[in-house]
Amino acid sequence: MSEALIITPLCDREVPANLAISMTEIVDRGMIDLRGLPKDKKFMDAAKAALGVALPTEPRTSAQNGESLCLWMSVDQWLIVCPRKETAALLDKLNKALEGIFSLAVDMSDARSIIRLKGDRVRETLMKGSSIDFTQGGFEPGTVRRMLFGEIAAMVHVVSEEPDVFDLMVFRSYAHHAWDWVEATATKGSEVGFLKPAEAPAVV
Amino acid sequence: MLVITCPVCGVEGEEADFHCGGEAHITRPATENPEGISDEAQRDYIYMRKNPKGVHFERWRCDRGCGKWFHACRDTVSMEILGYYGITQKPPATLLKKADPLWQAHFEAQLKKAKS
Ligand SMILES: [Zn+2]
Repeated sequence: MSEALIITPLCDREVPANLAISMTEIVDRGMIDLRGLPKDKKFMDAAKAALGVALPTEPRTSAQNGESLCLWMSVDQWLIVCPRKETAALLDKLNKALEGIFSLAVDMSDARSIIRLKGDRVRETLMKGSSIDFTQGGFEPGTVRRMLFGEIAAMVHVVSEEPDVFDLMVFRSYAHHAWDWVEATATKGSEVGFLKPAEAPAVV
Repeated sequence: MLVITCPVCGVEGEEADFHCGGEAHITRPATENPEGISDEAQRDYIYMRKNPKGVHFERWRCDRGCGKWFHACRDTVSMEILGYYGITQKPPATLLKKADPLWQAHFEAQLKKAKS
């Protein structure tokens, strides 16, 4: 059988040179939408057995097993992000484990686009497009936050800090809009600079 | 601008992060007796709203959080949100007491209808 050709939504976009942050499309991830009830012990146990890690039930958190991530999406929904090549096998494993249990696992790899943002200006750039204050606590690595970003539904996953690495996830059809928005708001010279303490005014 | 806290997932956000589903506790008449619905009952269901000045009950959705629906009690004058309760629940007695009497009448009528 020939290898499937995967065309990612932003494959024709070039990263502009004049950005205050770095921006790349993540192209090698598969995504599985998983739904079930956390109070159903059978569901939680089966999911844990298939994923190798317990599903996070604390809002806006994630769990990791090797290269596979379980991102909290709602009180009964998770997004499993794993290497694209392993998606089909993992989905199969999940569906087998969840047989007969009130749940749903679907391959949604082509539904979303992931844009990786990296650098000291990432929080500031995201704040230009959302109502969230990323300078406050609660955004340590592993945090997941759904939000309205640049007028569209989006989600960020905090990958690491210092330097900040945030994965911005948007629906595929909005990928170019999100890319354009970041491109426009993260241009060098557009820094707001409020994340660093202001210099004390000169004493006269 | 309202600042809302989702009672389901605990996320705090501004109005645009949520979606207002309008007045709460509206019963669709056709679910009970589709053939016997009068034009007036259908009109009231679709168009007639309480619109009180003061404490009001509304449905809201956590659009950019957990995606779940919930009920909120809001003062239409001060814009203050006085409390939240589950989407399948009736307002707590303490909030109902503060509301316009037409809300009390609304629930009494619903109760009467359920008994008959
Ligand atoms: Zn919520």
